[in-house]
Amino acid sequence: MTQPFAFFECTSLLRPTGRQAQDLMQLLSLIREVEVGVIYHHTHQYYLKAAVEVPDYPNDFATWASESLEERALAEKLVSVDLFSYGSIEEIRRALIDTIQLYLQDNPVPRPARAGDAFFFNDSMTIVIDAGVIVEDLPAFAGALETVGSSSIYFHFFEARRRLGRSADDFSLWLEQGAGRADLARRIRRIDPYQYSLEGLRRELLAVVR
Amino acid sequence: MPTLSSYQAVAEPEEIRALTRLAARLKGRTFLHVNSTAAGGGVAEILHRLIALLLDVGVEARWAVIEGTQPFFEATKQIHNGLQGQEVTISPRQWTVHREVNDTNATRLSLEGDLVLIHDPQPAPLIRHRAGGRWVWRCHIDASHPYPDVWRKLEPYVTAYDAAIFSAAKFAQHLPIPQFVVPPSIDPLGEKNRELSDQEIREALESLHLDEDKPMLLQVSRFDRFKDPLGVIRAYRMVKKYHNCQLVLAGSGAADDPEGAEVLARVQEEAAGDPDIRALLLPPFSDRLINALQRSATVVLQKSIREGFGLTVAEALWKGKPVIGGAVGGIPMQIHHGVTGFLVHSAEGAAYRVRQVLHDPGLGRRLGAMGREHVRRNFLITRQARDYLALWAALERLDERVIHI
Repeated sequence: MTQPFAFFECTSLLRPTGRQAQDLMQLLSLIREVEVGVIYHHTHQYYLKAAVEVPDYPNDFATWASESLEERALAEKLVSVDLFSYGSIEEIRRALIDTIQLYLQDNPVPRPARAGDAFFFNDSMTIVIDAGVIVEDLPAFAGALETVGSSSIYFHFFEARRRLGRSADDFSLWLEQGAGRADLARRIRRIDPYQYSLEGLRRELLAVVR
Repeated sequence: MPTLSSYQAVAEPEEIRALTRLAARLKGRTFLHVNSTAAGGGVAEILHRLIALLLDVGVEARWAVIEGTQPFFEATKQIHNGLQGQEVTISPRQWTVHREVNDTNATRLSLEGDLVLIHDPQPAPLIRHRAGGRWVWRCHIDASHPYPDVWRKLEPYVTAYDAAIFSAAKFAQHLPIPQFVVPPSIDPLGEKNRELSDQEIREALESLHLDEDKPMLLQVSRFDRFKDPLGVIRAYRMVKKYHNCQLVLAGSGAADDPEGAEVLARVQEEAAGDPDIRALLLPPFSDRLINALQRSATVVLQKSIREGFGLTVAEALWKGKPVIGGAVGGIPMQIHHGVTGFLVHSAEGAAYRVRQVLHDPGLGRRLGAMGREHVRRNFLITRQARDYLALWAALERLDERVIHI
C-alpha cells in the first residue's frame, strides 16, 4: 500500500545578525562564534536565491573569498568542502574552520575586503507552505515533481534533511518507505545535490523517477 | 486597483501560491502602515498599490500618514541624512519637535492594528503610543553607518519595537531586537511600470521637446546630493566627446524633502548653456511620464553615492534597459555587474560604461533582458507582499527556524 506524499514549498526570511567580517581573520573568528543557523544559511540557502546567472560557487563563504578578498585559491578550497559528507552543520562549521586555517598556514594573510564589501553574517527563518499537491503513486509523484515550485525541491532535499534532522532527503525516504522503491531511493541518494542548481536537481530527480 | 489574479501573468506561480496561503491564515486581521508622505518617493508609491493588493487577498490593510510642520520636516531630513552617515547638527529643540509632532499625530490617528509597520525615522516616535499588536520599524535607508549623535537619539525608539526591517542585510545594525531583510519592490502593473504603447510614450513626452534622434542618458531620482546629479553631468560631458547624446535628469519633489530645491538649483546652474541637458522637476503623480522617459532612454543611470535601495534601478531593468549604477546601498542587489548592468564607483567609470553600451547596442539589449528577468524573480510587489505576510508568521514564532503554516 503506497503512502501519500505531500509537497511543500517554502520561502526564506533573512535575519541579519549585524555582525560582519572585513578580513579573513574576522571571518574565521565569526564562523567559530555564530549560531549554527547562520552556517546553514550561508552554505545551503544559496540555492533559494533566484539569481539569473549560474553562480561560480554555491556557497557564500567561497563567493566572498573569490570576489571580495580575490583569493581564488581559498574559494576553491572552501567550495571543495563536501557538505554532503558531513552529518551535521556543526561538522560543516568545523570543516570550514580547518580549511581556512590550513590555507593560512600555506599562504600570507590576504588583504581586507574593500569598504562596503564586508561579509555580512545572516541567519534565516524558513516559512513552509503547503503546495496543495498530494500524490499517492510514482507517476503522480513524477508529474508533481515537474510542476511544483523550485523552493519545493530545495525544501524536501536540503531543509528537511539538514534542519529537520531527517536521515535523508524526503524524496528518497518516500520512495523507499512509502512507495516500496528502495532501488530508486538509492539512486537519488547518490546524487550530489551541491553540484546542481535547483532546476538542474529537478531534472536529475525526474530522470530517476520517470 | 490591483488584484492578485492580475499578477498571474508576470509573477512566479509559487510566489502567488505562497501569498494566497499566507493571507488565508490572516483573513480579517488588521495591518496598519504609517509613513510621513502620501506622495513622492518610493515608499508612498509602493504603499498605494501594496495596500490594495493586501486587501484583495483578505488582509485588512490600511495606511495612515502623519502630518508634519516645516520645522518637523527640516528636522527629519537631517535625521534621514544623519542615519545615512552624514555629519549633521540636530538641536535638542528639533528632537523635541520630532517627538511632539508624533505625539500630536498619535491623538489624531487610529494606531490600532494586529501588525503595525512604521516606515522610516519620521514617525518612529509613534512607538510611544502603541496600544496593542506587534510593532515593527521598517527602515528604507542605509543606516549601517549612522552619524553617532543621531543614532543615539533614535535608538531608544527603534529598540522599543518588536522587530526592525531593513532593505538589505548590510544596512542592519547590531540591535537587541530581531531584524529582518525585506527588499522593496516595484509594481509591474502600476502606471509607472506598465507597458506603454508608442503613442502613449509620444504623447507623454510631447511637451518636453526631446530630440528623438539623439541617444538619451537618463537618471530618475529625487534632487538629492546622495544621488550625485552633478557626477552624472560630469559623466555625460565625458561621453559627449564621443557621442552626440542628451541627458535628462528627472525627479519629483517630496513633501518631506526641503533640500530638493537647493540641489535642483545647483544642477540647473551646472547645466546652464547646454541645451542637451534637461533637469526636470516633476510634480507628484508623474508616473506615466517617468515610465515614458525610462522606456525612451538608451541608457539609464543611478549614480548614487549613498542609497537606500534605489528602486529606479529595478524600474529601468523591468523595462529591459541597460542600467549603470553606483555600487552602493541596494544597487548591487539589482545590478549584478556585467550580467544585469554595470556597477561603477566614479563619474569616469559611469562614462566608460555608457560609452561601452552606446558602442554596442547588442550588449545593452542583453543586459536589459537579464535585468528584466532578475527583477521579475526578485523585486515585484507580489514578493514584497509575500515577505510581509511571512514575516507576520515569523514574528509569532521567533524561536523557531522552520515554521510550517
